[in-house]
Order: sequence, then structure tokens, then C-alpha cells
Amino acid sequence: MSPLAVAMGRGAWARLGAGIRHHKMAAFGAGIVALMVLSALLAPWLAPHDPLEQDVLLRLAPPSAEFPLGNDSFGRDILARILWGGRVSLYVSTLSVLIAIFVGGALGILAGYIGGLFDRVLMAAMDVLLSFPTLVMGLLVVAMLGPTVGNLILAITLTAVAPFARIARAPTLTVKERDFVEAGRALGFSHLRIMVVHILPNVMDDILVMAALWLATAIRTEASLSFIGLGVRPPTASWGGMIREGFENILDAPWLAIFPSIAILVVMFGLNMLGDGLRDTSDPRLRHE
Amino acid sequence: MSKASQLPLAVDGLTTAFRVEGRWYDAIRDVSFSVARNETLALVGESGCGKSITALSIMGLVPKANGRITAGRVLLDGRDLVPLDETEMETIRGNAISMIFQEPMTSLNPVLSIGFQVAEALRYHTPLTGEAARARALALLEHVKIPSAARRFDDYPHQFSGGMRQRVMIAIALACSPQIILADEPTTALDVTIQAQVLALLAELKSETGMAMIFITHNLGVVASIADRVAVMYAGDLIEIAPVEELFEHPMHPYTEALLSSIPRVDRDAGDLKPIAGQVPPITAMPSGCRYADRCPLRVPRCATMPPLVGLAVDPNHQVRCWVRAADESVGA
Amino acid sequence: MLPYIVKRLLVAVPTLLAVLTVVFFFVRIAPGDPALIILGDQASPQALAAVRHELGLDQPMAVQYVDFMSMVLKGDLGTSLVTHRSVWGEVANVLPYTIELTLSALVIGVVIGLPLGVAAARHRNEALDYAARLFSLVGLSFPAFVSGIMLLLAFAIELHWFPVISEGRPGDPLSRVSALVLPAVNLGLIMVAYVMRVTRSSMLGVLGEDYIRTARSKGVPARVVIWRHALGNAMIPVVTVVGLYLGVLIGNSVLTEIVFNRPGLGKLIVNSLNQRDYTMLEGLMVIYAFFIVIANLLTDLTYGLVDPRVSQR
Repeated sequence: MSPLAVAMGRGAWARLGAGIRHHKMAAFGAGIVALMVLSALLAPWLAPHDPLEQDVLLRLAPPSAEFPLGNDSFGRDILARILWGGRVSLYVSTLSVLIAIFVGGALGILAGYIGGLFDRVLMAAMDVLLSFPTLVMGLLVVAMLGPTVGNLILAITLTAVAPFARIARAPTLTVKERDFVEAGRALGFSHLRIMVVHILPNVMDDILVMAALWLATAIRTEASLSFIGLGVRPPTASWGGMIREGFENILDAPWLAIFPSIAILVVMFGLNMLGDGLRDTSDPRLRHE
Repeated sequence: MSKASQLPLAVDGLTTAFRVEGRWYDAIRDVSFSVARNETLALVGESGCGKSITALSIMGLVPKANGRITAGRVLLDGRDLVPLDETEMETIRGNAISMIFQEPMTSLNPVLSIGFQVAEALRYHTPLTGEAARARALALLEHVKIPSAARRFDDYPHQFSGGMRQRVMIAIALACSPQIILADEPTTALDVTIQAQVLALLAELKSETGMAMIFITHNLGVVASIADRVAVMYAGDLIEIAPVEELFEHPMHPYTEALLSSIPRVDRDAGDLKPIAGQVPPITAMPSGCRYADRCPLRVPRCATMPPLVGLAVDPNHQVRCWVRAADESVGA
Repeated sequence: MLPYIVKRLLVAVPTLLAVLTVVFFFVRIAPGDPALIILGDQASPQALAAVRHELGLDQPMAVQYVDFMSMVLKGDLGTSLVTHRSVWGEVANVLPYTIELTLSALVIGVVIGLPLGVAAARHRNEALDYAARLFSLVGLSFPAFVSGIMLLLAFAIELHWFPVISEGRPGDPLSRVSALVLPAVNLGLIMVAYVMRVTRSSMLGVLGEDYIRTARSKGVPARVVIWRHALGNAMIPVVTVVGLYLGVLIGNSVLTEIVFNRPGLGKLIVNSLNQRDYTMLEGLMVIYAFFIVIANLLTDLTYGLVDPRVSQR
């Protein structure tokens, strides 16, 4: 890698680390996120009971010693379902955001680099996608293609691609004009090499900030669609689905709605803090706060 | 004392400090000068020497978050402005004392019409309201020679060129007939031809109203053409002040000397240009004595303490802040 | 200003037609056979053909397009496959509820968010600023249905201040208002968070501008500098954000209507999705298209009001 790109590329992750270390908000947020990721990954070992095991006698039971968060309308352990629901949220959100970063980022860099008609057409398409809020897109995709987890991921990815394309395009436009790119071309570097080695590192900063915020959006969308009944289908545990169940039984067993709500809240709060904190560290104007 | 009260502006020992990374540093110190009626005082020096800070301090516009006036008095017609609170200053700014800024492209509010922005000063400081204020504002715009002023009264800043916008700024500054106007490099951002027009306009308006003017610039050519007296600043200190011809013919302070010999002149070869060796010390590392000492060929041990600003024996109107030059009475004969 | 308005209106028309065209193709190029999806794969070929005929799917595309457009422009959105009532009729029934909810949320968002953002910018890094920023961060972390359920639990179920089912009795304006409060607050609070954040950051940028210094040097009182000189400029990005947020508002209002059991477009959407009511879905998408175009138009017009650089060329 060129020395300059090394300085810049290692920079993005290094800046991420520095940002988290220095900025209390980002650190706090990162901590919460890490906690959530860990608990989701370790769910099979952390969950005291089987999330799918029903027990009619324990229907809507309040929190007890054996079931610290109580039981749902099928007698299942709420704590276990929250842990396993976290896995679903993690899976859906991470996958969709990752795909959106790759596809959107690539499209954005290509559009900025190639320019001309390609750029205009691509950005127009992105604008069309951007006009669809995530939930509406989710509803549309589900309406047409059916309510599966795969379609859920597709819907979120479709809305997320456009913002990532835009923020990948902007630095590409500036970096493209820089002298070292011209020098690279003169030396015979291929376009691909220039894009990957020189432009990509400059784009990473903004993408990381966006990624944190979009993970929150993805989790929220998945939960919202599951709440409506068009997302993750029961009996698979999902936070949105659990809240729906809780909503249906809200007068009898409010804890059924409350605990998964707290889970979503905490995770989204952590991700928002992380994203905000990262954005503050990377925006020079706000650095003196 | 009575002489001071006749002066539109007298600045006495003004010191303003700024906070850098938690500690306070003097940006300007012990600045003293006065401006008489109908007089143009040029305030010159290189970028960062404290000219703008002096003007902002006089206006009370130093950003409060990180700056404050720590000593001195600013006497506007005998009245000290430094202890006044914001509400009291609001009645004075734009009224008895006005300021024009360097960047006409960004100094006007883009979402308000220029007529409104001119009339605003009138509405806050004079009994004029509504139609009367509008009429007077229109007269002002015509006075600063905005073409088709009546038609363009409700136009917005983005519809005017830089030179025109600066004229609007001048109209705003003059709206309430201030006693003194501070002009902070008003022509630096303009084309040379427009520059000449704006300078001529300022001179004309000044002589009409008899108001005093402080003209801040780093361009000695402009100084030569418009100033009555010149004050030279270096690294936050006022180091020399003299009538304009006197300064150009007999510069006393080593810095002024060096400055004048470093600018190209038609009657000298370029080979005679002598750049000044060394650099201005950063604000966080200012010496407590004479700040020019490090670069000065005349330096003596006494220069480690700050010299006072004293008039020359041969000409009390010519003041210099230098141990060596002030003591040398044979100079200037 | 007038030429600007006219220009915007003229642009809106082809935009509307374009979006309607997109809606038209959207339903027809979706993978799968609508008839099959509606009737299930046990249906007889005759039944399937009958449904396709009813949906007009057996006509050539061009004919379908003309039919579609003329129906829409006449205001006829077809008949619901489930209730067999006119789609427009169903929509008209619930539209007032949705409109009053959306408008209330907008008003709450701007009326509370704007001054809060201004105050936070003025008192930057002081207690008020931190509190406001924390509040907005929390507000953004609540999915609309979660905050709705919390509000429902607290204020309707526990405290009985508001009804649990937010429909209101016809002819009783007070009950309608009472039914509006919690849903509007739910939607509005999220908007407050958005508006406050963008107002704050926009104000911080504007307060450092040269023209603010000019205003102060004129002796303009501090209050006027903030509210007229600064906010006048700071509002411009806020208009953008509110315009962008309108789309999100729809999604959130769907969730809110479900939680508070409130009649509105949201319920219609969900029901028609669950019941595979294709005609209703298509009609709702047309409504959504109109909404998008009108919202964009209003945003553009507001720009023209707020920013003379846009309306006076």
C-alpha cells in the first residue's frame, strides 16, 4: 500500500479506536453495543431455558426466581427469548448493513470516480430509493415478496444502499482530483487499484459513522415489522414479535412488553451514542465541544 | 482632561486577553491612542498583530467565550465603554460608533433585504419608524451611490456585487451619524479599481460629516493616500504612532523602518528590498519585554523590559515604544 | 416569489405522473401471480382467470396503463377485494384521522423542537444543552411503537388520563381531542428530537457567521439577533430535515395507529397486506404517491418563503 494510503487507511480504524477512547459518549455507546453483541453471540450458553419450550401452566407468569423476567403467553422464558431475539436482530441488522456498505460503497465510489452519465443515472436511482423510508420499503417488499427474513434483509438493504452510496461518493469526488491520483495514473496504476488503495481509506471514516447509525435503524425496522406481524415469524424469538405479544396481553402482563422494549431501547441508545460520538470526533467543526 | 473629552475616541492602556487551551494570554497590551474629529487614523501591521482585536475590543465585540478585556479604558467622548454591560453597549453600537468589516460577501444577512438591513440601524437608534425609516434608508443608499437604489431597496445581498455590498455596509455604518467609524480592511477583498472608488467614497462621507475614522490595513500604499496619522502595531503592542508624512519620512521604531524598506517602491530597485529576519512569536510564547527584541538589530539588555510609549523630544506628536530610539534625542532633527 | 410558485407547481405535475407510473409498474412486475397469491394454489384455473379479469390483468399493458391513469385522475381507486366497497370510500373515512395526527405531530415537533434547539445552541455546553442533547438521543432511540406502548401503559392504562382506544366518539370534539393527545405526543416527541438536533447544529454554524457580527455591531438587541438574524438562516436546513422526515413520519404513524388502536391509513395498509387486498394496496400506494409529491411541493414552497436566494433569482 502507498505510504499515504497507509497513513489514511490505518487512520480510519485507528481513529475509530481513538474516537472511542477519547469521546466518553462513543466509549459508553461502544460498551453497550459490545455487551449486546456478546450476549447475543453467547445466547445458547447464557439462556437458562430453551426459548421455544412452552409450558401452559406458566402462561403470562410474572417474574420469578426460576424465570427472572417472567413467561410469555405460551409459557416460554422471556429472558431466553430476549437473548435469542438479540441474535435475530444482530443477524438481520449486521447482514443488511454489511451488504449495503459493500454494494452502496462500491456504487458510490464507482459513480464518483467514473462520473458523467453513469454518475447521474446512478444518483438518480439512489434518489428514488432515498425517497422511501425504511419501514415503507419494508412493507412494500413484504407485500410483494412475502414475509420472510430474507425479504426483510432485502428491504433494509435497499433503503440503506442509497445513503452509503452518497457518502462514499462525496470523498471520492474530492480525492479523485488530488495530485497523487494523477501521479498514480501516470505510473500506470489501474483504476481499480487507485479506487481500492487510495480512495477507499478516505471513505471509511464516514462509512463507520453511518454504519453505527444504520445498525440502529435496521434493528428498529426489523422490530417494527415484526411488531406489525410482517417480519420474523413466531415461534422464532424476536424483540418486535415479543412486544407484539406483550401488546396483545398488555392489561394482564405488562412485563411481556416492557422487557423486550428495554432491550431495544438500550441497544439503539448505545448505537446512537456510538454513532454520534464518532461523528463528533471526525467533524473538525465540532471537535472543540 | 478637557482635551480628552473633546476627542471622539481615546483608548488608554487597553489590554485584551484570549484563552488558549485553558490559559489566558495577552493578545494586545497597553494600547493607547486617540482620534480627533475629522481625523483618519490608520492602524497598520502584519496579519495577527492585533489590529482587528483592538477594533473589536473598542466595540465590545470580543467573543466572550474565550476573550476578555483585562485592563484599560475606551473613552468614547469621555465615557468609558469597558465597564458597560451588553444592553448599554447595544445602544452605542451602530449609533455613536460603527464598524465596517473586511468581507462584504459574507457580512450581510442573506435572508434579509438590504433596505431592511440599513433601516434596522435607524429603527433601533433613532425615533424613525416604518415609512420614515425606509425613506431615510433609501436616502442613505443613494448617498453611497447605489445605482437604482429605489428599485433595489428590497433586493437581497446575493443580487449585488462585492463592491456594491461594501457600499451597503458603509450606508449601514453611517446611518445614525456616528462620531467615529472603525473600518477593518474594508477594501482588502475588493478589486483594485473598486477599492479606489470605495476609498474615495469614504473620504467624501467623512469630510461631509466630520466623523473620525480608524482605518485598519496592512497595505501601506492605502495608508499613504488616506491617513492623517498612522499607528503601527507589532505582536499586540502599539509600537509607533505619528502623522503620516512624518512616519514615512522618519520612521523611528526599528520595525517600522524595516517594514518600510521591505515594501517595493517605484523609486527603488527591487534589489534593495530587505525582508525582516525571524518571525513573530506565537501568542503562547510572547516575551514580557519588547516583543520585537529578538529580531531587532538595535537590541540592548534593557529591551527585556517593556518600553513605554513616549513622544520624541523633537516632536511630541510622534510617539515610539523603544528604549533605544526614544532616548536618542538627536534623531529627527 | 410568484414565478417560483408557478414553476414549482408545474414541476409537480410531471413528477406526480412519473410516480404514479412507478406505482403502476410496481404492482404489475412483482414476481408471482397476484391471482395465485390471493386465491392460493388450490384454486381452479377458472377462478384464477376470473380474478385476473377482475383485476384487469388480462389486458395488454398499454390498455391497463391508460385505464389505471384515467381511473386515478378521476378519483376512482377501484374496489376493495375484501370489503367490496370503494377504495376511495374506505380511505376517505380514515383520512381525516391520519391528517390530524400527522399535522399535530408536525406542529408539536416544530413548536417545541425549534426553540429547544435555539436554546441549546445559545447555551452551548451548559446544563441545558446537555439535557437537550440527551433528551434527543433518547428520543431517537425509541422506536415509535415502543414509545407508544410506554405512553399507553403509563397514561392510559395506569393513570387513566386518556382513553386506551383512541378513536373518539363522533360528534364529541372533546373526546376526539382526548383521543388525539397520546398518539400525537408519541409521534411528536420523535419529531422534537429530530428538529431540535438539526436546529441546534444549524444555529451553531450560523452564530459564527460574519453577518451575525455585523448585526451585533449595529447594536441590534441580542434577542433580535438570535430570533431574526440567526434563526432566519438556521431554519433553512431545518426545512430540509422536516421535509425528509415526512416519509419517516408515515411509517411511524402506521405504528402509532396500531398501538393506539386508531383509525387511519396505517390500519388500512396493514390489513390489506395481511389480507392480500391488491386493489386496496394499489389504491393506498397511489395515495402515498400523492402524499410524497404534495409534501415535496410544500417543502419547496417553504424554501421559497424562507430563503430569498431560492425564490429571487
